[in-house]
Amino acid sequence: MTDVRTLVLAIPHWSTIAAGAAYDCPAAVMHMNRVVDATPFAVEQGVVPGTRRREAQRLCPDLEMIDDDEARNARRFHLIVTALESVTPRVETSTSGWCSFPTRGPSRYFGGDQNLARLAADRALRALCDTLGVAEVPSVIQPRVGVADSRFAACLAAFPKNLPFIRVVAPGASSEFLAPFPVDALGSKDSPLVDATDLIDVFRRLGLHTLGDVASVPVDHLLARFGSPGLLAHRLSLGTDSRTPQTHLISDVVMEEIEIEPPTAHVETVVFLAKALADEIHRRLSGEGLACVRILIEVESEHDESCGRYWRHEHQFTPTAITDRVRWQLEGWGYSATGPTGRLSLVRLVVDEAVPDDGRQLGFWGGETPSDERVVRSLARIQGMLGSDAVTVVEHSEGRCLLDIEQRVSLAVAGFDPDRSIAIPEAMAAPWPGRLSAPLPAAVFQQAHQLIVTDVKGQPVRVNGRGQIGGEPAQVQGEPLGSHLIVGWAGPWFLDERWWDPARKRRQARFQLLLADGTAHLCVVKSEKWWLEASYE
Amino acid sequence: MTHLTPVVSPLSEVDQLAKPVTLACDRTFPIVAELSGLFGDRGMRRGSTIGVTGDAALSLAVALSVGVSRSGGWMAAVGLPSFGSLAASELGAELSRWAFIDRPGDQAGNVIHALAANVDLVLIGPDIKLRADHGHRIVARMRERGTSAVAIDNSYLFNSRVDVNLRITRTTWTGISSGHGRLTSRKVEVEATGRGANSSPRRQLLWLPDEKGQLGAIDQGDEQKKSSRLPRTENKKMFAELTEPALRAS
Repeated sequence: MTDVRTLVLAIPHWSTIAAGAAYDCPAAVMHMNRVVDATPFAVEQGVVPGTRRREAQRLCPDLEMIDDDEARNARRFHLIVTALESVTPRVETSTSGWCSFPTRGPSRYFGGDQNLARLAADRALRALCDTLGVAEVPSVIQPRVGVADSRFAACLAAFPKNLPFIRVVAPGASSEFLAPFPVDALGSKDSPLVDATDLIDVFRRLGLHTLGDVASVPVDHLLARFGSPGLLAHRLSLGTDSRTPQTHLISDVVMEEIEIEPPTAHVETVVFLAKALADEIHRRLSGEGLACVRILIEVESEHDESCGRYWRHEHQFTPTAITDRVRWQLEGWGYSATGPTGRLSLVRLVVDEAVPDDGRQLGFWGGETPSDERVVRSLARIQGMLGSDAVTVVEHSEGRCLLDIEQRVSLAVAGFDPDRSIAIPEAMAAPWPGRLSAPLPAAVFQQAHQLIVTDVKGQPVRVNGRGQIGGEPAQVQGEPLGSHLIVGWAGPWFLDERWWDPARKRRQARFQLLLADGTAHLCVVKSEKWWLEASYE
Repeated sequence: MTHLTPVVSPLSEVDQLAKPVTLACDRTFPIVAELSGLFGDRGMRRGSTIGVTGDAALSLAVALSVGVSRSGGWMAAVGLPSFGSLAASELGAELSRWAFIDRPGDQAGNVIHALAANVDLVLIGPDIKLRADHGHRIVARMRERGTSAVAIDNSYLFNSRVDVNLRITRTTWTGISSGHGRLTSRKVEVEATGRGANSSPRRQLLWLPDEKGQLGAIDQGDEQKKSSRLPRTENKKMFAELTEPALRAS
């Protein structure tokens, strides 16, 4: 097997750049209550990936939190990739702000790896400046380039802790280059090893602390003890390519295309058609025991414009993952200056690289079942009808107000995982003083409704700054309740949040009201106005 | 999540799967024991339409779904933008198996039709309206695929009568008075009417929610319980036993 010498170009802190956060203001991109990426300024304050939300807020109180969105990351990366396509046509995009291409041809054309790397970094930097609309970007977020004998090594070379921007590992020297890296590098999210946390833990307890240590263990011992993940870990640490690519498929090249008749201007229609193609590709490949790791997605418009892009997945593409890439590519293309002028008329998926599918052991109980797959399909169809944000799932985060805790995330953003666990706030590590206690209201309004609450004399009931109530609530009026007598009430429970931050501070007093018709409601008083926030339906 | 009431044993489900032929009326959803008194002797049938009306309709609809989502079924909520997910998880719902389509607009019929084939239970909010032909088509498809629909405060949804109608006749909150206490629990009286196996009216008192936010059954007077919960077949048997000796004697 020959290794493919690869160039990896990465832009540090890409998620924050894509989210529109400036490098010198405190911001972090969050997913599932953990920091995924933070701006250089926030990193200096100690907010590193993996930090919990509350810990991050403690380290940096004025931190701006942005929800992670893979689609946004990919869409804005389109311009950088377009710039690199002037160097070589075979740029493969991954999702998290980095892309790669094999260097053999371009390196010979441009006169060596060093020149090629400098050229790529230069083009990407200019594209980045254009994207941000500035003349110069600071060195912390300038593109980094790594060239090495394998993708994994090139990737590590491109993510240095500090300078230089360009690191070219000489041919054959990859294993020496990799040797000092800690064994944790095997478990980074760009590594081809799936769920390597346990494996790394065992390595560390066995005294294998660096990649060099892992590489020095005889390969048959690793294979005997850990099976195929052990073999893969050994190959990665040696700097050889992770998996043997299947250069020719057993059948003809797997390609699926569909002409869109009549042509459409809606991204969702194309995505829905691509879903069927992706399912078909997946079926054919899995019939031959193969898994797709690189795919070419081509879309054409009725004015003969086309947009083709290679996408790489470190593990393997599922049909849903392919459909996501189609959506990101279309959105990126649509937003760019070279976007289509006509409606879209054709979508084509070509499997570019497939590897033998190692397979995965499904759990005896649970795991994905055919019925899960059917559900995913019908939800995709609804997304096609109403737009990708129409279908939502629940995600719980931390907070005191109901709307802070229960959040709906678009299915397109959250991805679909039937085994995903939704933490109930009680089960989270620390209690939130000031949170409502059980039972909780069954209906929480996305938008609070204003109410008028009066006492027996018809005077509006007020709550003063110390949280004391002036008068007894006796009657309530307002949409959607109508006009009712109040037969029971409790409160005020005073809540004063983030008083140090003028922009986000919140002072409110909560009440529970029981009305004469038997219904109970949760109201808040904010700046002398009553709002209906939730109902105990 | 440790102290949840167990759902009806999944063994009966395995039994359904193993049989060569399962009659439509034997295909049921697992539901929590507290609510089983509301349905006929066979339980909540797959493919049936259920209407829930009254003050605590949303909570009752969620409670119906708890057994389904916890045994691995899929749920969808159409037109319920104010669904309180925290309260639902207190009741025991498995939220990772829920999808929400808040604002289907004029596509509601198509959305429910697409869901009807693949999810197990669809909750439909009060503002959703369907055209008559759409309604019939959806009901037919649901019956064929074994998907059930729960219409919340939406009695005109399917134009025809629903199979089971759960009406909340009385709700009483406890724990709150003027200026002190807080809402702790709610006593709810549910009246079930319907057709076919569910035609005999039943009545059940429930804590919805109790002081932990969960569902609890309230024991009624013994006599009332017997008359309300006695399945019809058993009724017939008893009647036969009573009459047979009399016949023989004559």
